[in-house]
Amino acid sequence: MSLSRSRTTDDGDLVRSARRGDEGAFGLLVQKYRRAAYAVAYSVTGSREDAEDAAQESFLVALERLEECRSPERFAGWLMTIVRNRSKNLVRRESLRETDPVPMSASTRTPTPDREAERSELQAVLREALNGLSEVQREIVLLHDLEGWKHREIADRLGLPSGTVRSHLHFARRALRDVLGAREIVEDGRRSL
Amino acid sequence: MNRSSRDSEQPSDESGRDMRIAAALAPVDPATTDRDYWRRFQNRVMRAAAPELARRRMLLDLTVGDVLAGWARALVPTAVLAAAIAALALIEGWPVHLRPDGSVTLEEVLVAGMESETIPEALNRAAAEASVLLAAARF
Repeated sequence: MSLSRSRTTDDGDLVRSARRGDEGAFGLLVQKYRRAAYAVAYSVTGSREDAEDAAQESFLVALERLEECRSPERFAGWLMTIVRNRSKNLVRRESLRETDPVPMSASTRTPTPDREAERSELQAVLREALNGLSEVQREIVLLHDLEGWKHREIADRLGLPSGTVRSHLHFARRALRDVLGAREIVEDGRRSL
Repeated sequence: MNRSSRDSEQPSDESGRDMRIAAALAPVDPATTDRDYWRRFQNRVMRAAAPELARRRMLLDLTVGDVLAGWARALVPTAVLAAAIAALALIEGWPVHLRPDGSVTLEEVLVAGMESETIPEALNRAAAEASVLLAAARF
């Protein structure tokens, strides 16, 4: 029976069905992990455009290599490894290509009217704050506080001890508060919505 | 105020998210400025994945019979043709002048000019020339 109809959401079943070419199953996997994939890619690239490219590319690579996912139940962790690697490759390629001094703000694809400029400024502050964290701290704080993954889910999916996840999260939050100033950034975040 | 007590004062939801940090991180989510973002993301991925998914479905639909039938379509006519040519060659012989390149085989070179005789005839002839055979045996 096709998962498109049964709507089973267990990763193992979804992966097994996607291996057989079930579009519905693969679609559910994308839907379930697209935000997390983006967050992990963003934590590596620090750029929305690159994160988008890396996340999309990673889903396609994952589909092509589904047979290599030895534990379909642990698909999320396997996918995040692909996302991380693809993102690192992308950053490496970008750094090799970047020979002209293009400012960071020029990487945004859309022009910046007033509101857009304000948002860009906020994003620059946020990017700076996130850049102060280690890659794993960025990943964890984005997955937990932005995507709502629980400690145990992060630990399982990233293959880290639960205590390590908590510790990284604690230091990441503290560093973000220190750099951003919680109250100001919340106001800016609300205005940008 | 120490750090742990400061952390515990942060508002959090049921999953333990720090809502202030979550709000600060909101601009990272492209959907905050583009509500349709994730639907387009999904569509792009699914569109790009369509050929691979179709390939997987096609592989699944192939049965052992289909594979054998696929081979048979190419192999059977070739085998029949090869068998027919071989049969013709065996029955009719393969005259030199009919060979495409007019070549002569090694066997033909070796037996050229020799009269054909059976093995018993050859042995009888050899017995009659026993001295030659004896000389040959010594050397």
